[in-house]
Amino acid sequence: MKKLIIYFSLFTLCLTSCKKIISIDTENADPQIVIEGKINDQLIDQQIKISKTIGYTEANVFPKVSGASVTVTDSKGNNYVFKEGAIAGTYINRMRGVPGVTYNLNVTSEGQTYTASSKMPNVVKVDSIGVIKNFFFGRERKTAAVFLKDPVNETNFYHFNLYVNDILSERFYVNNDRLTNGNELRIQLFFKPPTNDHDSDELNSNDKIKIEMECIDTNIFDYWYALSQQSNRGPNQGTTPANPTSNISNNALGYFSANTYQVLTATVK
Amino acid sequence: MLIKHYLALFFLVLITSATFAQNKFTLSGTIRDASSGETLIGATVKIIGASTAATLTNNYGYFALTQPEGTYTVTVSYTGYTAIVKTIDLNKDTKLNEELKSAIDLAEVTVNANNRKNENVKSAQMGLERIDMKSLNSIPVLLGEKDILKTIQLLPGVKSGGEGNTGFYVRGGAADQNLIILDEAVVYNSSHLLGFFSTFNADAIKDVSLYKGGMPAQYGGRLSSVLDVKMDDGNNKEFKFQGGIGLIASRIKAEGPIVKDRGSFMVSFRRTYIDLFLRSSPDSSVNGSTLNFYDINAKANYKINDKNTIYISGYFGKDNIGVKDLFENNWGNVTTTIRLNHIFSDRLFSNTSLIYNNYNYTVRLLNDATNFKATSLVRDFNFKEDFQYFSNKHTLRFGINATQHRISPIDIDSDEASQVNSLTQERRYGIESAAYISDEWAVNEHLNFLYGVRLAAFSLMGPGNFSTYDADGNTLSTENVAKGKFHKNYFNLEPRFSVSYLFNEENSIKASYNRNTQNVHILTNATSSSPTDQYVLSSTNIKPEIADQVALGYFKNIQDNNYELSGEIYYKWLQNQIDYKNAAELLANSNVESELLYGVGRAYGLELFFKKKFGKLNGWVGYTLSRTERKFTELNNGNYFPARQDRTHDISVVGIYNMTKRWTFSSSFIYSTGNAVTYPAGKYSIGGQMAYYYTERNAGRMPYNMRLDVSATLEGKPGKKYQSSWNFGIYNVLARKNPYSIEFITDPDNPGKTAAQQTSLFGLIPSITWNFKF
Repeated sequence: MKKLIIYFSLFTLCLTSCKKIISIDTENADPQIVIEGKINDQLIDQQIKISKTIGYTEANVFPKVSGASVTVTDSKGNNYVFKEGAIAGTYINRMRGVPGVTYNLNVTSEGQTYTASSKMPNVVKVDSIGVIKNFFFGRERKTAAVFLKDPVNETNFYHFNLYVNDILSERFYVNNDRLTNGNELRIQLFFKPPTNDHDSDELNSNDKIKIEMECIDTNIFDYWYALSQQSNRGPNQGTTPANPTSNISNNALGYFSANTYQVLTATVK
Repeated sequence: MLIKHYLALFFLVLITSATFAQNKFTLSGTIRDASSGETLIGATVKIIGASTAATLTNNYGYFALTQPEGTYTVTVSYTGYTAIVKTIDLNKDTKLNEELKSAIDLAEVTVNANNRKNENVKSAQMGLERIDMKSLNSIPVLLGEKDILKTIQLLPGVKSGGEGNTGFYVRGGAADQNLIILDEAVVYNSSHLLGFFSTFNADAIKDVSLYKGGMPAQYGGRLSSVLDVKMDDGNNKEFKFQGGIGLIASRIKAEGPIVKDRGSFMVSFRRTYIDLFLRSSPDSSVNGSTLNFYDINAKANYKINDKNTIYISGYFGKDNIGVKDLFENNWGNVTTTIRLNHIFSDRLFSNTSLIYNNYNYTVRLLNDATNFKATSLVRDFNFKEDFQYFSNKHTLRFGINATQHRISPIDIDSDEASQVNSLTQERRYGIESAAYISDEWAVNEHLNFLYGVRLAAFSLMGPGNFSTYDADGNTLSTENVAKGKFHKNYFNLEPRFSVSYLFNEENSIKASYNRNTQNVHILTNATSSSPTDQYVLSSTNIKPEIADQVALGYFKNIQDNNYELSGEIYYKWLQNQIDYKNAAELLANSNVESELLYGVGRAYGLELFFKKKFGKLNGWVGYTLSRTERKFTELNNGNYFPARQDRTHDISVVGIYNMTKRWTFSSSFIYSTGNAVTYPAGKYSIGGQMAYYYTERNAGRMPYNMRLDVSATLEGKPGKKYQSSWNFGIYNVLARKNPYSIEFITDPDNPGKTAAQQTSLFGLIPSITWNFKF
């Protein structure tokens, strides 16, 4: 009987996938109002930004909306009027938010009124930031990380912004403590530079990293989480994309968040 | 009220059938393959004499025909086999056990075309597709791994879950709405390697039937289709070995008699060896990685006496994926079936089954920040008692079925240092039970009915805490239910009805209506099947899914069965469909039911099928024109939107050319409209980043899919005991870049703008497989 050991290796699997630019058939939507409001616990010019959407095919210049009337009231009876400052469409008021206080936003623009409210959560302090080393198929990879102790007696939601050499990472970083309550957290933030070059997403020695942390409320967590689930990923990759649920009324896009704020910097060794 | 009438009619028919059955005798027996002793499913037994009648053998090769006393010519035939013609005097109940010889050359059996002749036209059954295991071997597939789930995707009404994927959608149903059973046991996850291969090793498979509609009453539990897969029984005459070496996997199968002509066994094993390449890498973290799957199919049967045959079969499969020091993931199915065929009388055939099956997965994260192990299990115990009663013009089927489900959604086991907490999500227990009765009634030469009813009951059992939620997902109430106590019960009556009207032997129209319900649901928001798909049972929040389907078809055979032509239209209403809220967290969430949305669906379409069955050139052309939509109050402003698998046109062409006795060439071609997807209609700035603005859900289309695959098979010189063959294949000969996913990036030519970038998975992929048999 013949030996059974015959094997040809004509194995040219194209898993190093093939990419190409295609044109898609979509209609540019009419401009929609986008409100992005934040009140944090620092004494700064708090900002409420109002802009409009543009069509999918248009160049990335987002029109600012001027001339709106913007006020914030809080659960203690304070009333803050936000005025359009030096930057068009950005309404400011120098104030400090307080944890545990609920803030209510009221925006009137182009004859429409939009309202929202958000309660500032308690402060959770970041212990430090740094770098965690992972091995991917034998290659060492450095990843920015936040170290903090999650309080055991409350439900916490965190949102982060990562900057590497002052460039904002194009990912939405958001966490809750549903599965990690009360633990020492080591939250890794994988960098995504605003270029199409995927090789530049690695951290190198002497890179400066800056991480902003916000403790946010549950609605704002859902907002960022929905965005993080779709971000740049297009269709046919999991969740069907949809506009994240906004806490602002009257179908405005965006969010109004009362959150804590902390920023730390470090240099990659 | 309608149902009452229906039942009344049903029993009326039963009574009339009983009164007819006087002064008649029964011819019954088992039809087998002469060389292997394997029973033949669906062989035709036809008797001509004082009256004419025909029947098909059942899933165990058994048949029974009852006719007035007299002399008859009996013809026993089966595709690819030489028919047997005999004369019998039917003056008492008579046994006819026959063994058919395989025809040497399939291309030359045209003369013998009366096997199952015109069955597709005559039978009241609609929406049924049988896969011919012989042609399966020559249809080209990805990497030469022949696969029944990929072959059924080439049939009209069945849509592929994605490129190279074994997931499938039938007539607008979702991927979790297919009942996939292997020797009666439910296979929860039928995919290997994230869906690129199926759990069905073609070597071990004897028969595959796919019901797209008109499901007979003996099947229940899923909405859109039934894929009934049966394993080989094994050769009861002599020991045989066969196997193959392919690019991805190797296979070996052994079979033989336990006691000659009375019992046999079959064992089949398949394993991939991609990780052997990884192991040869000098890099320690690469050679420490794993990527493999294997499956074992085993079956044994023993004929205790003329009235009792026992079958034991099992399947065990496992996938292992792991990257050293990062993660490990493994998953697999186990099924075990013990069956006893008992012949009470020549006319009453019974099958008693005890079935165990489970699906489980383990994920282990080894990263030092998140070090934990998560496990999940779905486990069923199932008892089935099925009867088949053969009378003159009726074949009655009735039976009962009880399944106990246990779902362990997820257990997380982590050590102190891990940032993830240990967690045990409550187990869920459910009992699904059903009773059914159906009758296949040949009224006269023109009219056939297949009708029945299935009563499906489902009970969600304690122990556990069961919550109800409001529309915002807030907990309204939580009830603690003790062990063994019922929490929620559902009863559904599922009428099934099909009729065929024959204009003549070769022309018929058929109509059918059937209702199906489903109490086990998969929660997933991934496109393709994922090993961590989560199973949930119907509850206070999740109502049983319900589908009602009507279908109408025209069936025609031309040139003595050489050509089959059919057209079917269907319309399907779906209730209690499931989708997800924005920002839904499905995994390890004990309040997962608060993240769900419930809605309705509709699907309709036209399926055209043209098949050439015999001759040097055979194959088929299938075309589907269809629409599949869903409607949820909370999505798309409450308007109907296309489901992801909605594809307007689907074309498949399969050609097999038997050039010589040794060379066979084959090719398959597919074209389909792209998936329905949601494209952005605008964009805006948020959090310093760009986000997309969406308007209508799934109003966009992916680019179309088109692919041509070819293969050639060279058989060894015939006549020798030791046989080997080579199969050469090329997947995607045109090297077309079919869309897998689309991602939005900064336009490389115009940095201020956005561009859509398509990713394709496979280019042109050649394959080679060597098979042997002795």
